[in-house]
Amino acid sequence: MIQQHTIATTPKYNFPQPTIDTTLPQRLIELSIHSLKHVQNQPIQLNQQTLQQNSNTETPTQTLQLKPQPIPLKPKHEETIVAAVDTSSIKIGETTTGILIAVRGANVWKQNRNYRYVRLGPFVFHITEENKREVYSALQRAYFNSPHEHNHQSSPNLLQMPTRIASLLERWLQTTLSKTISNGLILFDGSLTSGTPDTPTQLIRETLEAARKRRNIVLAFSKMTNLRFNGHLITDIPLGHKPPYLLETAGLTTKPPVVLLGDVYVARLTKGNYAFRLDIDKEASPGQKIDAVEKLLGNDLFSQSYPETLRLAHILCTFTANEVIAMQHFTTRKHRLRIINRPDMHRLLFGPFGRGEGNS
Amino acid sequence: MKLYKKEGNILQILSFPNETVEKGDYLLIEDADAGKALIAQVIDVQFASIPGILEELLRSLPDGGELVQGEDFDPLEIAPHITYIQDASLIVCKIRATVENESLTPSSSWLPSRSQSTIKKVPIPTLLKLARIDGKLPIVLGGTKDASLLTIDASSLDGRLNIITGKKETGKSHLSKLLILDMIRYKTTVVVFDLNGEYLSLGMTADGKRNAHHDKIHVLSPSQNFKVALKQVHLHILLEILIHALHLPGTSAREFRRIWQSLKERDNLTLRELGEAIRVWHCNQHVRDALFSRYYALVNSGFFTDNVAEATLLEECLFRAREQGGAIIINLKNTSPIDRQIVVEYLLGKLVELLTSWRLKAVFLFAEEAHLYLRETYWDDIVTRMRHFGIFTTFITNQPDTIRENIYRQADNIFLFNFTNEHDLEVVSRAARVDAETVKSIARDLPPHHCLVLGKVVKDFPMVAKVKALDVKTMGETRLFFKEMN
Repeated sequence: MIQQHTIATTPKYNFPQPTIDTTLPQRLIELSIHSLKHVQNQPIQLNQQTLQQNSNTETPTQTLQLKPQPIPLKPKHEETIVAAVDTSSIKIGETTTGILIAVRGANVWKQNRNYRYVRLGPFVFHITEENKREVYSALQRAYFNSPHEHNHQSSPNLLQMPTRIASLLERWLQTTLSKTISNGLILFDGSLTSGTPDTPTQLIRETLEAARKRRNIVLAFSKMTNLRFNGHLITDIPLGHKPPYLLETAGLTTKPPVVLLGDVYVARLTKGNYAFRLDIDKEASPGQKIDAVEKLLGNDLFSQSYPETLRLAHILCTFTANEVIAMQHFTTRKHRLRIINRPDMHRLLFGPFGRGEGNS
Repeated sequence: MKLYKKEGNILQILSFPNETVEKGDYLLIEDADAGKALIAQVIDVQFASIPGILEELLRSLPDGGELVQGEDFDPLEIAPHITYIQDASLIVCKIRATVENESLTPSSSWLPSRSQSTIKKVPIPTLLKLARIDGKLPIVLGGTKDASLLTIDASSLDGRLNIITGKKETGKSHLSKLLILDMIRYKTTVVVFDLNGEYLSLGMTADGKRNAHHDKIHVLSPSQNFKVALKQVHLHILLEILIHALHLPGTSAREFRRIWQSLKERDNLTLRELGEAIRVWHCNQHVRDALFSRYYALVNSGFFTDNVAEATLLEECLFRAREQGGAIIINLKNTSPIDRQIVVEYLLGKLVELLTSWRLKAVFLFAEEAHLYLRETYWDDIVTRMRHFGIFTTFITNQPDTIRENIYRQADNIFLFNFTNEHDLEVVSRAARVDAETVKSIARDLPPHHCLVLGKVVKDFPMVAKVKALDVKTMGETRLFFKEMN
């Protein structure tokens, strides 16, 4: 069970906050600072290519059917809170023993026609082969708070660590939203597929359950999908209907331990060629699902079929090059890391034909 | 600060928010291993091109320009580092010299180490010492930004062509007064063409009392205390006046020459006799009419007299100034444009005459808005021929395009006040002693009474100074209708 604390320790939230578990951010800070303490006076190699990773997992499935009749949608302007979560991670450099990474997450919500946000981070970690298990386990423990299905898995490899830590933060932010807002729409980035290393089924179930208890509906938008119907990506299939509408899918099967916790739709919500895979909590009734999308249409702005709240969450947590430089500056100044410029072997060997390690 | 780029004699230096550098400052880029240093002047301060800055700015305004409100939970306090990087600036500098073994060379051909060089601001006194901008005849122009004095040497104005320019009410006349007073302190002879009567009270303090220079300031007002007897005038000077100021045609000028010689032979060179001679002279009626019209122009100017005793003040003043230094202020305030040209033609001719015969050693001429009284052909004369006679001119103008390009090219010193107009800056930047970027970049941002000094007086190290105040009665103020109300 997740230990519940009152909101007194996190006064930065100013939307309804009955009880929030603050364990994860505190552990994030502690582990972040602790990991950086052990990196002092080491040389740091800046990445030739800085890769930004947004946590997004999708397991391809087969036997997909697309119902031919679209579900037409009519925006409902009934006042409803729309909230969204996104996280981002980035590798900001390498040391002789490991990597320096940063994660950040953002909750954005629209209420009374205004967008507001809470942004957590950046948390900078120095991850090494030696401490990766300790860091990951500590964060998992902080989040799961008890022996859990996930604890049995081995810790991820070094390169997976940024995504994994960002996923943990994302799950925590999602849970926070599910437990704080009522009668609202909660937007996740990605799908409602669970059972992957980043999406423990039990956790996602608990998050959805918490949301349902407060009469919220969870909708997950995937920017990319691999789902195909008749060989075509489901989001590419043109229909002669006027948006906004949903296309219902059927026949999706997954192999254990992967579980679908949402019903999958193709959402074409504005004019134009943009459509997204939309997962809506399976437990909601068909009427509630349609009602939720119609309320979303009536309460949020849409650009290229994508809700503004989720777009803002993504924008707010994404690291800009400026921030990467600032974090490198922070680590070199605060932790006296020595920047070294190790040659890019691709560039070195292949000259202008070497595309850089990040693109290899 | 970190050295970022060098292209030609332009340096780009990366600077961080805690390092305050402004336009006009001097930086020393020292490469200890090379044993050399570059002295560069800041000509522009820009935002550094930081990767991702556009995204950063766009992120703060995603909602149609309306700021998204929110809270940032930043436990590691990285935000100050972000703003630190965002506010980094790129300093564009012009290399002025290389320092090696404590001596300066104008070279910029070597490349200091990017990683090892240290960069620091050079205080103006240090630079003045390095460049040996001092001397035995100091003239304090004013204060520099770092509270030191900018002192030039009076001898650096000797034999030089100077230009003081800037837009209206920026302090040009103030600086020229300062230079005049300091020059007469060093016993020089100064002649001022005072178009607006601004220099008439140079000998008075601000509260109207006599100042230390009072006895050395001689105000000559044409047709009042400044008159000329025909006997004192050489024929060639009068012909210059008739041809250039009064546009007398060549044929008529030839007749005038004969009349003049005839009167001179009879020792009858008076206005009255000249008029009579024109009347009875055997010549074409048109020529007579032409001569008469010019004759009456001379008479009506009131500048010419038959009384020799009335016409001795100019030489007296010049000789007095020769002995103890002094300024002869030619008050052109209430003089018509034609009379103004007559006076200037006469005076320049007279000065050349006195200088050629070595009765005067040299004259420092201050000419305000010279285009209003100086004929076309005199410009070249002043910068080439007259310089050899010992007339060293300082032009003062708020319309830089009224001074010819070749004057700028030959100017030794330029005292530049604020200009915002692109065209004006373009004109001034043609001066040979300075690069266009420096002029355009620094002059545009000069506050009132601040002057960019260029040229030999500062050994080609452009410097900005706030011109010091003078205890001199202000004249030539603009008359205001709403003065009482304000």
